[in-house]
Amino acid sequence: MSVDVIVDIYRRVLEIDDLGPWSDFFAAGGDSLLATRILSALARTYGVELSYEDFLLAPTPAALAERVTAAGVLR
Amino acid sequence: MKVVVVGAGLAGLVAATDLAEAGADVAVLEARSRVGGRTFGIEVAPGAWVDAGAAYLGERHTALVTLLDELGCKTVPTTVEGHSRFALGDGVQTRAGRFPPLSAVALGTLFDLLDEVTSQVRPDAPWLSPNAAALDELTVAEWLDERLTHPDARLFLPLFLGEMMAADPTAVSVLHMAFYLRSGGGLRYLNAFAGGAQDSRVAGGAHEVCVRLAEGLTGRVHLGEPVHAIVQDETGATVHGRAGPVRADAVVVAVPPLLADTIDYRPGLPGARAGSRTVPGCAVKVHLIYPRPVWREQELSGWSMSADGPLLSTVDDSPPDAAIGVLTGFVTGREAHRFAALPGAQRRAAVLAQAHRLFPGLPEPIRVEVTDWINDPYSRGCYAALMGPGDWRRLGPQLTTPHGRVHWAGTETSTAFFGLMEGAIRSGHRAAAEIVGRPR
Repeated sequence: MSVDVIVDIYRRVLEIDDLGPWSDFFAAGGDSLLATRILSALARTYGVELSYEDFLLAPTPAALAERVTAAGVLR
Repeated sequence: MKVVVVGAGLAGLVAATDLAEAGADVAVLEARSRVGGRTFGIEVAPGAWVDAGAAYLGERHTALVTLLDELGCKTVPTTVEGHSRFALGDGVQTRAGRFPPLSAVALGTLFDLLDEVTSQVRPDAPWLSPNAAALDELTVAEWLDERLTHPDARLFLPLFLGEMMAADPTAVSVLHMAFYLRSGGGLRYLNAFAGGAQDSRVAGGAHEVCVRLAEGLTGRVHLGEPVHAIVQDETGATVHGRAGPVRADAVVVAVPPLLADTIDYRPGLPGARAGSRTVPGCAVKVHLIYPRPVWREQELSGWSMSADGPLLSTVDDSPPDAAIGVLTGFVTGREAHRFAALPGAQRRAAVLAQAHRLFPGLPEPIRVEVTDWINDPYSRGCYAALMGPGDWRRLGPQLTTPHGRVHWAGTETSTAFFGLMEGAIRSGHRAAAEIVGRPR
C-alpha cells in the first residue's frame, strides 16, 4: 500500500503531473465522473471497493490511502 | 451565382448567410412552416420560451459562441443548486449533488471502458481509426455484454447513452458511440453542466439564432417548400420544390442524412447518405410548466434520474427570473419509441404520474408540452442520426464529398461536435466555403 501509487492514479485520471499526496481532487479540477475512475482504479489495484461518499470525505491521495488500508484490514 | 439551400435549420441558414455575404443570389427552401430545424422554441408563457429541441452549449462551441455574439444573443447559465432525486431501484431517493446511488466502482469501470475506446478513435475520420473494422462490427450492447457485468453499470449505460446522444445501445455501433463522445470533447466535457457542454442555454431559446439568421435573409427563405428532386445537367442544377423548379449553379443540402435520402437525385448519388442501419436519434422532450420552480422550495435542483420511463432524466430549465417553473424531461433510447407510440392522453398521464413520484407536492402543471422528434417527418430524429454497425466505414469517405454541384451540410456532416448545434454551424460554414471557393 503506497500513497505514490494513488498519486500516480490521480495523475493518470486527471491528466495533471504536478500532484502530491495532499492534492485535493476537486481543487485539481476533478468531478464526479473522474472520481469514479479513481475508485475503479483503486478497486483493481487493491481489491477494495470505496463508495463515492468515502471519496468525498477523503479526496486526497493520502486520505484515500488511509481509507484503502482500513477497508483492507476490515475486509 | 445562384445557390439553393435545402433546409432552414442552423446549418442551412449559416451556409445561406455566408453565401449571401459573398455575393451569391441565395434561395433557402424549407419544408416546414418555420425555420430552425432541430432548434425549436415553444412560448410557454408570455415572453418565456423553452427549447423543445437543441438547447445547451459550452465555451468550446466556438462557432456558436461567435455567432451568438454577432447576432446579439445572450446566454444563461444552467447551474441549479440543490439535491437530486433518483428512482433507480426501490423507491425514490434524495441525494446531494448529481451522483446516483449506484456503485461508484462499477460506474468507474464503465467510464474506463468508454474512455479507452473513445481515445482509440480518430476524431477527424472515425472510419480510418486503426481498429475501425473491429469497433464498427458490434453494437454497444453487444460489445459491453461480456465486459460489463455489474448490474449497476448495466442499469446506468442506457441512461447515460440516452442522455449523451439519445441512443439505444442495441442500435448504435461502438465506433459511432466512441466517435460521438470524442467529437463532442470527450466523456467528461459532454457530461458536465458548468464548464462542460451543458454550461449555458441561449436566452430566449436556441431557435432565436435561426430566427435572427432568417431575418438577415429577408425574402430569400421560402417556407412550406419540401424538395423532392435535384436534377443536374451540364449547365446547372434544378431543384424541384412544391412551388416548382428552381434553377441554381450550386445546391446545399442541409438536412439530416435520413431525409437527404428521400430526395431523388439525377444523376443518382454514388452511395446513400444514411447507412442500412442508421436510425433516427431517439429523443422525445417533455416540458412541464408550473407557476414557479416549486421543487426549489424543497431544496431540490429539479435534476432526477429514473431507471424506468418515460422521464429518464429531468432538469430545471426555468428562466433566470424564475417567473415560471420549467421542468424539462428527457425520454430517450428505447423508451422514447415506446412513449412516442402512446396516445396523447396516456403520454400526459404517464408523465404527470412520474413527475409527482419524483417531486412530491408538485401542483398541476399550467401546461404540458411533448415534442416527439423520432416521428417528426422533417427531422427524423434528434439529437442526430445514429450510425449502426458498418455505417461509418461505408458513409465516412463521402461524408462531405460534393455530388457534382450538390454540397452537403448538417451536423451529421461535421466530424467536430457531431450532433450538436456547433457541428451544424461548422458544417454550414464549410459548405459555403466549398461553393465560394469554387471557380464559376
